[in-house]
Amino acid sequence: MIISRQKKFREILRNLKEQNIFIIGCGKCATRLHVGGEPEVLEMEKGLKRAGKTIAGWTVLSSACSIPSWKEVLSQNPAIRESDALLVMSCGTGVAAISRFADIVYPALDTESLGGFSSDEIMEEQCNMCGECTVWMYGGICPIAQCAKGLLNGPCGGAVEGKCELDERPCAWDAIYEKLKKLGKLEYLEIIHEPRNHAKKLRGK
Amino acid sequence: MGFSEKIRSGKFVITAEISPPKGTDTEMMLKDASFIKDVVDAVNITDNQRAVMRMSPLVACCILGQEGYETIMHLTCRDRNRLALQSELLGACALGINNILVMSGDHPAKGDHEGAKPVYDMDSVQLLGLIQKLNRGYDFSGNRLESRTDLCAGAVANMETNELALIKLKKKIKMGARFIQTQAVFDAGSFSMFVAEISDIGFRRSRIIAGIIPLKSEKSARFLNKNIAGIKIPEDIIHKMQTARNPKVAGMEIAAGLIEELRDMCGGIHIMPIGNHENTKAILEMAGII
Repeated sequence: MIISRQKKFREILRNLKEQNIFIIGCGKCATRLHVGGEPEVLEMEKGLKRAGKTIAGWTVLSSACSIPSWKEVLSQNPAIRESDALLVMSCGTGVAAISRFADIVYPALDTESLGGFSSDEIMEEQCNMCGECTVWMYGGICPIAQCAKGLLNGPCGGAVEGKCELDERPCAWDAIYEKLKKLGKLEYLEIIHEPRNHAKKLRGK
Repeated sequence: MGFSEKIRSGKFVITAEISPPKGTDTEMMLKDASFIKDVVDAVNITDNQRAVMRMSPLVACCILGQEGYETIMHLTCRDRNRLALQSELLGACALGINNILVMSGDHPAKGDHEGAKPVYDMDSVQLLGLIQKLNRGYDFSGNRLESRTDLCAGAVANMETNELALIKLKKKIKMGARFIQTQAVFDAGSFSMFVAEISDIGFRRSRIIAGIIPLKSEKSARFLNKNIAGIKIPEDIIHKMQTARNPKVAGMEIAAGLIEELRDMCGGIHIMPIGNHENTKAILEMAGII
């Protein structure tokens, strides 16, 4: 699941110079996170109307990042053609997918990380999409995504009372240590990890 | 005898820390250094310490080198990727700056450029490994260098004896850390436990350099306790600072007392006064070390 949050309404309004707006929500992650599902789309419609905009229409696509056919979207939502701009309440990938077909597209959300949803809990920053998954060596807790410095060989020594030096989050390395200890795999911590090969992520296109 | 030779032969070393200027004028830095000119073996130059932007430590080391000081250049992984780290190290070597203290570096969000991109392309363990490669005459990618470096690299440690911290320290030692400089010590008992732990993993205690911060006031002691990772000032020391008629002198006495206690447990001491070095010589004299 892609974790995103709503931009401040006044920031959206500042960018949105066009008058006649069509709003598109997303039925996947943004719906689950309550940032781009039907209730939020309706809330946005209300807000924009209050700010003097005209709303050409709205829809919630089943997933904004995978559009089988733009023709179909248009045939179900003919009002899109009459609008001056689209406001997309999905992650950046959804915005990118829609931008391939439409001219003026504004994002209503800020995309933060690749996370998950488990037992009613939103899991932020679970994966950094580095192109080479070694998470098994860290008890399933990725230090690239969860350690503020992305350190591969152990903690930085900056944590105070188990809290990351950056903010209130717990030190990811403490969690890695506890998990490996529980699994009886503390020897994994002794592995000396080479710096990551960033080419694995940047190439392959 | 230079710093690295002393480290190699197990001779006691005295080092002290100076920050480069936040500006272009090096006068204050040179004045700070002049207080400790013939007192210390080498001057440590911090690298954007606490993620607060200052002059490049390479340049500061070079300027101090021209004035006859031996320096230990701090090098953090925060601001440079592997290319920049290597060019910095080659440049340092060409300028005769051969002592390097390696660390991850405080996160940019802690300093005065909160929005800066944190780099951390390498961590301290990997950077130590890289320095070994450069010393053998190869760059990170395995290309042969036209001439090799002759770097003496060290690493830092908090005096934690927890298993996770020790495993990381062991990796630093495995990757060629020739000396270990500790965070400020305020309790000789826990320092001796730390020394025992790292002697157990095969590191000579003569290569451990104990950090010393002369306290200035009760308030600053409480601030260090609360805000700096790895510093634990015991209540009795805080009480001494609280009840002292002259807190500055009390701080010097406490520092001197600690140096006396620590000198036989380690291979050197490292003074980190917050501000300037006007009292460093007096502290070392009080401790009977010079």
